[in-house]
Amino acid sequence: MSETLNYWLVIVGILFVLLNIAAFLIWVERRMLALWQDRLGPNRAGPFGLLIILADTLKLFFKEDWIPPFADRHVFVIAPAVIVISVLLSFAIIPFAPAIQIVDLNIGLLFFLGMSSLGVYSIVLGGWASNNKYSLLGALRGASQMISYEVFMGLSLMGVVMLSGSFSLRTIVEAQKDYWFVLLQPVGFVIFFIAGIAETHRLPFDIPEAESELVAGFHSEYSGMKFGMFFIGEYLGITLISSITVALFFGGWLGPAFLPPLAWFAIKTAGFILFFILLRASLPRPRYDQLMEYGWKILLPLTLLNLLVTGGIILFLNQP
Amino acid sequence: MTITQSLFYFLAFVAIFSSLLVVTAKNPIHSVLYLILTFFTLTGEYILLNAQFIGIVNIIVYAGAIMVLFLFVIMLLNLNVESEPQKTNLMKFIGIITGGIGLVVLTAALKSTDPSNTVVIQEVDMGLVKNLGQVLFKEFLLPFEIVSILFLSAMVGAVLLARKETK
Amino acid sequence: MSSIIIIAITAIVVLYLGLYKVKSALLPVSVLGLLGAAASLVCVWDKNISYFNDMLVFNNYAIAFSILLIATTILIFLLSGNYFEKISSNVAEYYTILLFALSGGVVMVSFQNMSMLFIGIEILSVSMYIMAGIKKTDSASNEAALKYFLMGSFATGILLFGIALIYGATGSFNLVQIAGKASEQPLLFYAGVIFMLIAMTFKVGVAPFHFWTPDVYQGAPTLVSSFMSTVVKTAGFAAFLRLFGSAFTSVPAIWTVTLVVMVVLTLLIGNITAAFQQNVKRMLAYSSISHAGYMLIAILLLGQASPNAILIYSVAYSIASVASFGVMVAVKEQKGSDDLSAFNGLGRTNPVLAFVMTVALCSLGGIPLTAGFFGKFYIFGVAIAANYTWLIAIAVLMAAVGIYYYFKVIIAMYLRESENSESIQLSLAYKFVLIFCIMITILLGIAPALITNIL
Repeated sequence: MSETLNYWLVIVGILFVLLNIAAFLIWVERRMLALWQDRLGPNRAGPFGLLIILADTLKLFFKEDWIPPFADRHVFVIAPAVIVISVLLSFAIIPFAPAIQIVDLNIGLLFFLGMSSLGVYSIVLGGWASNNKYSLLGALRGASQMISYEVFMGLSLMGVVMLSGSFSLRTIVEAQKDYWFVLLQPVGFVIFFIAGIAETHRLPFDIPEAESELVAGFHSEYSGMKFGMFFIGEYLGITLISSITVALFFGGWLGPAFLPPLAWFAIKTAGFILFFILLRASLPRPRYDQLMEYGWKILLPLTLLNLLVTGGIILFLNQP
Repeated sequence: MTITQSLFYFLAFVAIFSSLLVVTAKNPIHSVLYLILTFFTLTGEYILLNAQFIGIVNIIVYAGAIMVLFLFVIMLLNLNVESEPQKTNLMKFIGIITGGIGLVVLTAALKSTDPSNTVVIQEVDMGLVKNLGQVLFKEFLLPFEIVSILFLSAMVGAVLLARKETK
Repeated sequence: MSSIIIIAITAIVVLYLGLYKVKSALLPVSVLGLLGAAASLVCVWDKNISYFNDMLVFNNYAIAFSILLIATTILIFLLSGNYFEKISSNVAEYYTILLFALSGGVVMVSFQNMSMLFIGIEILSVSMYIMAGIKKTDSASNEAALKYFLMGSFATGILLFGIALIYGATGSFNLVQIAGKASEQPLLFYAGVIFMLIAMTFKVGVAPFHFWTPDVYQGAPTLVSSFMSTVVKTAGFAAFLRLFGSAFTSVPAIWTVTLVVMVVLTLLIGNITAAFQQNVKRMLAYSSISHAGYMLIAILLLGQASPNAILIYSVAYSIASVASFGVMVAVKEQKGSDDLSAFNGLGRTNPVLAFVMTVALCSLGGIPLTAGFFGKFYIFGVAIAANYTWLIAIAVLMAAVGIYYYFKVIIAMYLRESENSESIQLSLAYKFVLIFCIMITILLGIAPALITNIL
């Protein structure tokens, strides 16, 4: 009985923490951006402006929940939910600590790839259902960008799978006892991280939104909590990519014993989240065709080469 | 009825219902959405058969990539209810008769099948990644490799057809 | 097996030659590669080697058909000359795709496992969908490609469904094992057989699944049509016979009735529609449907002589088709049309071309002293051995209709006046191919024993 209870506690706890992190990140991002851009950022409401989170959330909840009359109602409503659901489902396979993991699937990594490939529907359907040309343009860009980057996102992870011999994230983390996979798979790590930025369509790869050309891209017509869902989905996506990176390449919960495993995981993940924000603060957005060319002509060959070399070396070392 | 059985019937019902909606939906985008739903139910069926790899690949490849391309193309073509060509009643009638005969034949064939002797039950773990890899790279190595010719040919052709002629 | 590797590598080499703009080397390299592939096949004659858990088995049947496919491809390549260059500047890709298609054909004639059958058919079909549409600015070519693609992929789906049902009934993809377990789940097995029958008859263009054939053959560039009507059709029939001859022999009753109806329909529709065509290319397309009907007789009445009959018929039909399509390309290039009227007076302006066309059409029609006569002769022999006299009566009647419409072209060439009397200039390779085809046709018409007993 206590086992089942424990199980449910983990699920509810993870859900609670994640949603709070997503909200908390609103404040973190704005403060950090301000720091890096030599501004003050939100500093009025509460200590360090922390209550801005509450204010923002309340604002989103009480805004008029408007569905444009020219929109496709059902699809318009479904679209923002898709991204939140698919990202939250991905968290099910992440091993936060030895005892804190919702389910250890033996196809865990593939499950993550499958769920992240569903996130694109949110953009495509949201953009299409808005029945607005800027939204549609954003949606088309989003679809091609995410499909392209998904290809080598999956391929770049296969090096890790070869090294650990498993798709299960727990096994992958445990296989990094001696050294982190980032040392053995530096190329795989860099490519995965770039693809991860593109998958979460964060700056510099926020082509589907591109506020300077497309108003707000695929979510131009969204307001209130539906917009909030896209917003939260984005922050959850950042957290997801950061924690997957940590689990796959940076040893997950492993670390010196003076801190508990969960703390190690949290610290490493927080580092990557900050890196996401730093990228936003420092890099300009590439042109759309440059993005696609960079993906197909540079990253894809590199990924395949990485896969070939990794496979070759493993084969060579395992020779009887 | 066990949980697996009731899940199976539920998924099967949703699969059939949503695939009927794929055909009857007036808006092509809605058709695609129902098709995606159908793929999800099929993934569920795969997982009930303990074929986890196929199940998740079904989501990654079909639901995640191919259906997005479908949406992409439909959006670019701007298909909608008005521009959909309608079939004549004669065509519909013929289609129903032909499909109905096919249904009768398949139902008869499946009904006579002895379900206790299927391949899946003999090897429960057949669908796991490890076993699938063993089969794919040992027994079915040649088809696996020869498929590369197919992909290469299709890729060369796609580039050939899509590229602008300089002449 | 080594032949498949050689063909695939040749294709890739040709692709690279195109990248480095070595246009003049494309044809020689392709032909050399194909000759190498044929030689590697000759080396394993009578050896019966099976590869990779019986995925492919190169018995004499497979080798004979593979060599036929390769030889036909060489002839078509030699005819191509600068034909493709007129369509576009990406000539290397055309050779590459045709070579890939050929490797798919070789897989199709040598498969021993259903998964290989599927992959072979897919390689061949996908390549052909592309080749049908290479005239990008020509709407007929676009229509041909799209129609072929949509219908072909639907047929592939049915094929897969059939394979899945048969796997469900027998638990195996291997032809021999399938034959052994055919009676375990009879109804499921029968349903699978019928599905595969539908798919295979679609791929070889048999009525009532023939609707794509005329449009695709007419819309595609003529040389591609000739590839489709020879290599694709031969590979399709060889695979058809290999599949039904080994895996499904134990349940003939279930599919012979269906097939008899198809044969009769195909013979009637193909021949009678062809008689009404005014466009020679479209007429040849319909006549290729009718030829599929004749070849189907040998599959319908599976017997000892069936493989041989199909082989002889394929050889005669392929060679004659290449010659007739070759003449048509030349005529179309000069007169800008392939209607019947374009052939008027060809006998006076170009006696050689007219003679080649005459012999090729006689062979297609089954006139004695040509290879086509023995093709039909052996097919009918199979039918007589199985006591299907009424079927032969229909087939002979339809062959007479065939002779009627073939002679329409011959009459136009020799008895009608042409508007201009310029003769058509042909390159050496072109002349060689045409003359070679005619020599083979006549040689086999006089001495059929050269190939009648090799299987």
